[in-house]
Amino acid sequence: MHEMSLVQGLLIQLNELAKEHDRSKVISVCMEIGPLSGVVIDSFQFGFDILAKEDVLTKDAKLIIESPPAIYRCFGCGKEVEAVKRPESCSECSETLFSPQGGDGLILRQVEME
Amino acid sequence: MCDACGCDLKPEHTHDSKVIEVHQSLLAANTAMAEKNRVHIEKMGAIAINMISSPGSGKTTLLEKTIEALGDTIRIGVIEGDIETDRDAMRIRAKGVPVIQLTTGGACHLDAAQIHKGLHLLEKEEGGAELDILFIENVGNLVCPATFDLGEHHRLVLVSVPEGPDKPAKYPKAFHSSQVFIISKTDLLPYFDFPVAEAKAEALQLNPDLLVMDLSATSGEGFDQWLDYLRDLHRNRQ
Repeated sequence: MHEMSLVQGLLIQLNELAKEHDRSKVISVCMEIGPLSGVVIDSFQFGFDILAKEDVLTKDAKLIIESPPAIYRCFGCGKEVEAVKRPESCSECSETLFSPQGGDGLILRQVEME
Repeated sequence: MCDACGCDLKPEHTHDSKVIEVHQSLLAANTAMAEKNRVHIEKMGAIAINMISSPGSGKTTLLEKTIEALGDTIRIGVIEGDIETDRDAMRIRAKGVPVIQLTTGGACHLDAAQIHKGLHLLEKEEGGAELDILFIENVGNLVCPATFDLGEHHRLVLVSVPEGPDKPAKYPKAFHSSQVFIISKTDLLPYFDFPVAEAKAEALQLNPDLLVMDLSATSGEGFDQWLDYLRDLHRNRQ
């Protein structure tokens, strides 16, 4: 459950941003959590739901999570496919080895505050 | 969709709200600290290996046997991570190398800030300021530690024979973020259904660049390959 400590880090960052921009309420938070980030989106959302309520700054904040696919490059022919899950085999050459590119983002994209 | 931010936030927008573009990794603070740790470790003369596995897969035993084999020729230091107790550090200290124990008090992983503290503590131990190889034994957990860079140079993932061969498929992050995969406790292969070749192939499917070894720290089978890997690491560092 490292999602909890990641949410705690996010809330600290939101407090810093609110101070920096002189805002008192977070309306929404937009996160990118890639399929290879090692973070379970449901657990992150669950942690946010619990911890955000404890802070007056974030108690009504809405969390929006986007999960862009990773790119898998075939080890045999180099063909690249976008996918959320690792492909079983390459559609071109049947190779089963792939090297993943991207998809490991755990990024705070935008915050809407007032 | 909102014109200002591109996010699908429309219902909550108000006139005096402001969208702040951040685009920063949640791990940015950890990663920045990990970079500092890497520099610190290199100043100590060392190369660091972050060991990740489930509880009980033989990390500490592997370290004990490694120190017995290489301790005279390579200066080894250890940072032990556990939720509670300093039992692992006591086992390592008994082998005569500098070691410190970090207890996370419940947290399921080590992070770069803890290692920063650990490095300063280790330097106060006798022989702890100048090292060749620093082993960081992470909290026993195949999931959470994989997300946190500690400032290591190599990451090692261990799976022991009794755990079963399906761990790479079930816990992919640890395997595609590592450089080395060790199948440990191979002396137990006669008693468990663990097809070694299949487990290796599955791990390589996740990460074709993985260096895979199978060994038993108890019987010594396959151990030379591991020691050679460490000697090479040390030699290339000099």
